[in-house]
Amino acid sequence: MTSTVTPRGPGVPAPPAQPVPPVPPEEPRGARSGLAWLLELPGNAVRGITRSAATTPGRLSLIATGLIVLALLTGVIGTVSVQNRANTIDDLIHHREPLAASAQEVYRSLSDADATAASAFLSTGSEPPELRERYALDIAKAGAALARAASDSGGVAEAARQVEILSQQLPVYTGLVETARANNRQGFPAGAAYLREASELMRAKILPAAQELYEIDTDRLAEEQDDATGVPWLTALLVLGLLGALIGTQIHLKRKTNRVFNVGLVVATVAVGIAILWSAAALTVQSVLVSSGGSDGTEQSDLLVRARIAALQARADETLTLVARGGGESYQEEYTQLMGRLVGEDGNGGLLGEAADRSEGLPSAGHVDSAITHATAWREAHAELRELDGSGNYDGAVQMAIDGSQDRTAAAAFNRLDQELAAAIESGRQSFLDDTTNASRALVLLAPGFAVLAVIAALGITLGIRERLREYR
Amino acid sequence: MTPTKRLGVALSALALLIAGCGSPGAPVDPAPVGSVERPQPANAAVENDVEGGGAGDTSCDPTASLPPNGAIESGSTMDEIRDRGYLSVGVDQNTFLFGFRNPTTGALEGFDIDIAREVAREIFGDPNAVQFRAITSAQRIPALQNGDVDIVVRTFSITCERLEDISFSTVYYIAGQKVLVDKHSTVKGIQDLGGKRVCAAKESTSLKNIAAADPKPVPVSVDDWSDCLVMLQQGQVEAVSTDDTILAGMAEQDPTVKIVGERFTDELYGIGVPKENEDMVRFVNAVLERVRGGAWQQSYNRWLLERLGPAGPPAPNYQ
Repeated sequence: MTSTVTPRGPGVPAPPAQPVPPVPPEEPRGARSGLAWLLELPGNAVRGITRSAATTPGRLSLIATGLIVLALLTGVIGTVSVQNRANTIDDLIHHREPLAASAQEVYRSLSDADATAASAFLSTGSEPPELRERYALDIAKAGAALARAASDSGGVAEAARQVEILSQQLPVYTGLVETARANNRQGFPAGAAYLREASELMRAKILPAAQELYEIDTDRLAEEQDDATGVPWLTALLVLGLLGALIGTQIHLKRKTNRVFNVGLVVATVAVGIAILWSAAALTVQSVLVSSGGSDGTEQSDLLVRARIAALQARADETLTLVARGGGESYQEEYTQLMGRLVGEDGNGGLLGEAADRSEGLPSAGHVDSAITHATAWREAHAELRELDGSGNYDGAVQMAIDGSQDRTAAAAFNRLDQELAAAIESGRQSFLDDTTNASRALVLLAPGFAVLAVIAALGITLGIRERLREYR
Repeated sequence: MTPTKRLGVALSALALLIAGCGSPGAPVDPAPVGSVERPQPANAAVENDVEGGGAGDTSCDPTASLPPNGAIESGSTMDEIRDRGYLSVGVDQNTFLFGFRNPTTGALEGFDIDIAREVAREIFGDPNAVQFRAITSAQRIPALQNGDVDIVVRTFSITCERLEDISFSTVYYIAGQKVLVDKHSTVKGIQDLGGKRVCAAKESTSLKNIAAADPKPVPVSVDDWSDCLVMLQQGQVEAVSTDDTILAGMAEQDPTVKIVGERFTDELYGIGVPKENEDMVRFVNAVLERVRGGAWQQSYNRWLLERLGPAGPPAPNYQ
C-alpha cells in the first residue's frame, strides 16, 4: 500500500486538522490577507482528512485521534459534571438549606412576635418578663435571620423585593410596638391603638413578605435537590459512546490484523469500564441519599414549619379575639380555620396528620405524635376559653389564654405544642444534614478518579494504535 | 508583519475611541427608596362620599323618649336578662374618659361604663353583673339589631336617622363637636380645614359633620377613636374632629395637642336599645332618673370635671 501520508513517528500522529502535507504550492502569503487564509482553513482540513482516510494507516490515525479526543472530552466533561455535582451538594449543605432555614426563621419569629405582643397586651400591669423576653428574642432572631436570608437574594428579583419589604418594615413595626408600650405604661388607651396598627402592619405587609420569601427559598432548595439527583445525561452518553467506540475499534482491528488483543486498547476499555461502574454506583448512592435527605429531611421540615406557623397564627387569633373583647368574630373564624389546617377537623388530619404519616420510622415521629396530642388539648382548652368569654367571665377567659403556669390553660397547651414542633423541625433538619453529608461522601475522589481514568484511556488508545501503525512502517 | 501591525494600530485606535466617548453613567444608588408608605391603622380610608344627616337633621325631636317605668314584670326583656345572669352592653374600649381599657388593671372604665353599671345595678343589685362587648362606632346599630347586646352605651348621639332603626333613652349627656390639632397649628376651627385630612370614626355623626363642613375637608375614617389620635401623632391627618368629650380624652393622652374652636354641633348622648324592646327603653329611662340624682355627678366629677369644667345632668324630655 502506498500512501501520500508519510507515517510519522514516534509520537502521536499529527491531528488531521493541521495543514496536511503535501501542502499545495505555496502562494506568496504576503499577497493574501490573513482573513482569506482563515476562511480556507476548514476546506483544506476536510480535503486533507478525506485524502488520508483513503489509506489504512491514515484511517487508523484518524480513528486514534477521534478516540483520544473522545476520551479526553469525556474525561473533562465527566470530571466537571461530577465536580459540579459535588459542589451542588456542598452548596445544599452549607448554603441553600441554611438559607431556607433562615427564611423559615424570619417567618416564624415574626409570627411569634405578633402573637406575643398580643398576649402582652392582655396581661395587666407591667408586661410579664417572660413575654417581654420572648418578644425581644423573636425580634433579634428575625433580624439575624433576615440578614442571612438577604445575603443571597440578589439573584432572584422576587426574593430581593421581599427582603426589601422586610428590612424596611421591621424597624417600623418595632417602633410602633415600643410606642404602644410607652402609652400603655402611662395608662393611655392610645397604646392599644398603636399595637393594633403594629399588628395590622405585621399581618398585612410583613408576614406576607416573609411567607413569600420562605416559599421562594424552599422552592430553590427543592430545585437544587433535584439538580443533585438527576442523571448526568451528557456524561453518560459520552462515556457509553467511548466504550462502544473502543469495542468497535478492537473488532475492526481484529478483522484487519487477526490479532485478538491489543494491550493498549484493552487497558483503555478497562479504564472506561471502571469509570462507568464507579460513577454509576457513586452517583446512585448519592442520588438516593440526597433524595432521602429531601423527603425525610427538608420536605418533612417544610411541612412542620407550615404547621408551626399555622399554630402561631392561630395563637395570635386566640389572643386577638380577647383583645377585641366581643368584636373578634373574624379572629375566631380564622382560629377555627387554622386549627383545621393544623390537625384537621377530627384531630387526625391536616398538616400534622400528614407529617405523622410521613414521619413513621424517622427520629421526628415521637415529637410529631406528641404535637398532635398537644394540639388537641389546646383546641379543647380554647373551647373552654370561648365558653368562659361567652358566659360573661372575661377575666377567666383571659387567665385561660395567657397563664402558662397552669397545666390546663390554652397558653400551656400551646407552649407545649410549639416546643414539640420546634424539636421535630430540628430533627428533620438533622436528617437532611446526615443524609446529604453522606451523599457528599459518596462522591469523594470520583471527580479526580474520573479524570485519571480518562487519561489512562487516552494513553492506552495512543499506545495501542501506535503499535499497529508501526507495522506499516 | 506590516498588515498585522496596521490592524493592531487600527484596533487600539478603535478601543480608545469607544472608551473615550459615551457617558460613564451615574453611580449606583445604594438605597433606591423614593417615598415611604406609612403604617396605617387597620381599615383607615379616605371617605369621599359620606351622606349627610348628622346632628343637623331636625326632621324630628330626637330628645323625646318613652316615659320611665322601673318595674320588672315577668316575661319582660329585663326579666329575661335577669334569668341569663348578666347584662350585655356594647361599649367602647378605646376612648379615654368615656369607655377605655385601663392597661394597668385590664378593667374597662369611664363615664359610659359607669352608666352601664348603674343599669346592671338596677336589674341585679350588682354593678358588676355586666358582660362588656367592645364594639366600634360602625357596629353599634347592627349589634342592637342582631341582638348581640341588650343596650349600647358608647358616646352614642341620638339622631332622627338612627331613631328609624333603634330606640334611644333620654339624653344623659350633651356634647358638641370641636377640633383637635397640633399645638403649633394655626387652625382655629373646622372652617380652616378645607382640603385638609381630618379624622373621625366610621359611621359616626362626627364624620358626617366633617363631610358637611364648608369648605369641605378630606374626611379620613378609622375604626376606633384612638386610631385618630395615632394618625394625628404620626402626622397622617391634620386634625381630629369629634365631640369635645372624646377630644378631651385625646388631649389628656398627649400634651402636644390642643382643642380649638367653638362647639359647632350638639351631640345628645343616649343609651341605644333595640327598637322592639320598648319596656327596656322605659326601664333605662327610670334608671337614668335615679342616676341624675347623684351617680351622674359622682362619675362626672371623677372623669370629666377637671377637663370640661363643672356641669350637671341634662333634664329629660318625654313623649
